[in-house]
Amino acid sequence: MSAWDRFAFTFLNLEVARTYWLDIAAGISVTVFVGIVVVATGLSLGLVLAGLRSLGLRVVTWPILVFVDLFRSLPPLAIILVIYFGLPNVGIVLPSLVVLWLSLSAVLAAFAEEVFWAGITSVAPGQWLAARSTGLTFGQTFAHVILPQAAKLAVPPLTNRTITITKNVALGSAIGVSDILGQANSALAMSTNATPLTIGAIFYVILFLPLVVASRRLERRFAWGVAGS
Amino acid sequence: MLNPDGAGAPAGSRLLEARGIRKSYAALEVLRGVDLVVERGELVFLIGPSGSGKSTLLRCCNRLEEPSAGTLLVDGVDLMSPRIDINRARRQIGMVFQGFNLYPHLDALGNVTLALRKVLRLSRRDAEARAMETLALVHLQDKARSYPGQLSGGQQQRVGIARALALEPKIILMDEPTSALDPELVGSVLGVIRELRERGMTMVIASHEMGFARSAADRVLFLEGGVIVEQGTAEQVFTSAREARTRQFVQQIMH
Repeated sequence: MSAWDRFAFTFLNLEVARTYWLDIAAGISVTVFVGIVVVATGLSLGLVLAGLRSLGLRVVTWPILVFVDLFRSLPPLAIILVIYFGLPNVGIVLPSLVVLWLSLSAVLAAFAEEVFWAGITSVAPGQWLAARSTGLTFGQTFAHVILPQAAKLAVPPLTNRTITITKNVALGSAIGVSDILGQANSALAMSTNATPLTIGAIFYVILFLPLVVASRRLERRFAWGVAGS
Repeated sequence: MLNPDGAGAPAGSRLLEARGIRKSYAALEVLRGVDLVVERGELVFLIGPSGSGKSTLLRCCNRLEEPSAGTLLVDGVDLMSPRIDINRARRQIGMVFQGFNLYPHLDALGNVTLALRKVLRLSRRDAEARAMETLALVHLQDKARSYPGQLSGGQQQRVGIARALALEPKIILMDEPTSALDPELVGSVLGVIRELRERGMTMVIASHEMGFARSAADRVLFLEGGVIVEQGTAEQVFTSAREARTRQFVQQIMH
């Protein structure tokens, strides 16, 4: 058996692929579902936190910074494992999907808050003055004047963060979530062959390549007009 | 539409009555008890060296800056009252900025309609109709769909004036409206201000355009070190000031 044959037998085994590909494909819906819910939760929470922070009240800013710095510094897998295996000790038992959702949402929210905040502070202070002078409230100014300008700066890093966190749904396989990687892992164990991982990788590419391309479109769409004064 | 005189206006002719306005930032006192009283239809010029408190004074008049002390009446309404809805009150007070501060993500029409739609709650159609009328007043009806980045400084500032004007304010405060402009563009903005004055708009303008002040201002106030040092007609302040400090400053800005 040549080296290539050994490689093909282990990673590109058609026999194994035929047996398990449907199981692994079943994981796609879990990855997509958790991904969408995490992105929606994480981005909204991040935006709300950045909005609250722009009020400039110390009692509000301080807890936000603690949350943000904590969840930016912890590895997502550590958060997932601590919540999943730790909380039952204090009597809170959460389903693995919920743990995955909460952990990843918190991590995305922490990063998104920082990205939104950077965008908000990049908007010239005169924009607040001009908008408030016409009678717009703080909230209206934030929504219609500040946020659209902050978004221009925030969209590229946010799409990157979004893609990263969606891929992290795979970490759920560590606590028994049957996403693409979880299913591939099971198939790997049963077949004692690595081909399921190859199939999983193919599914990830099929799933994420369009997302990456779409994010590029989105970035172009947000590059409005000529830089203002 | 520019001069909502008459209907419901109180008898007094004082439109803006700011008295004893003080403003401090930590240990630095920028305004040290300034009175600014403006009659209906009056055009008041505010001159003074940079750092004298001109911008701060204007921003205190609609509480974009919170005065540390003082009383503030606009058309008889007490703006310092704890019960005042300041967002509502600010509609009455237009503001024009040195750096224009147009919204770069909105075209000229969008800049003017935003407050019409969100503050006055006009429908899109009504807001755009009014905005087009207002843009016509500043001679920019054909630039409605241009973004700020595509307009010259003079055009941007005229959109800024239209944005303030569209809310039909009782008074417009202008903070150095022409000092960020190239010299050849100043005329177009001053022309619009002159037309507003002819329509009876009440204005307070921080500016050193002395020629314009001479021909258009009812009164010139010289502000320095956070107090009004001297005031009078343009002629008095520019040619026969009583205070030595005023004469010295006027000398400087003539050159």
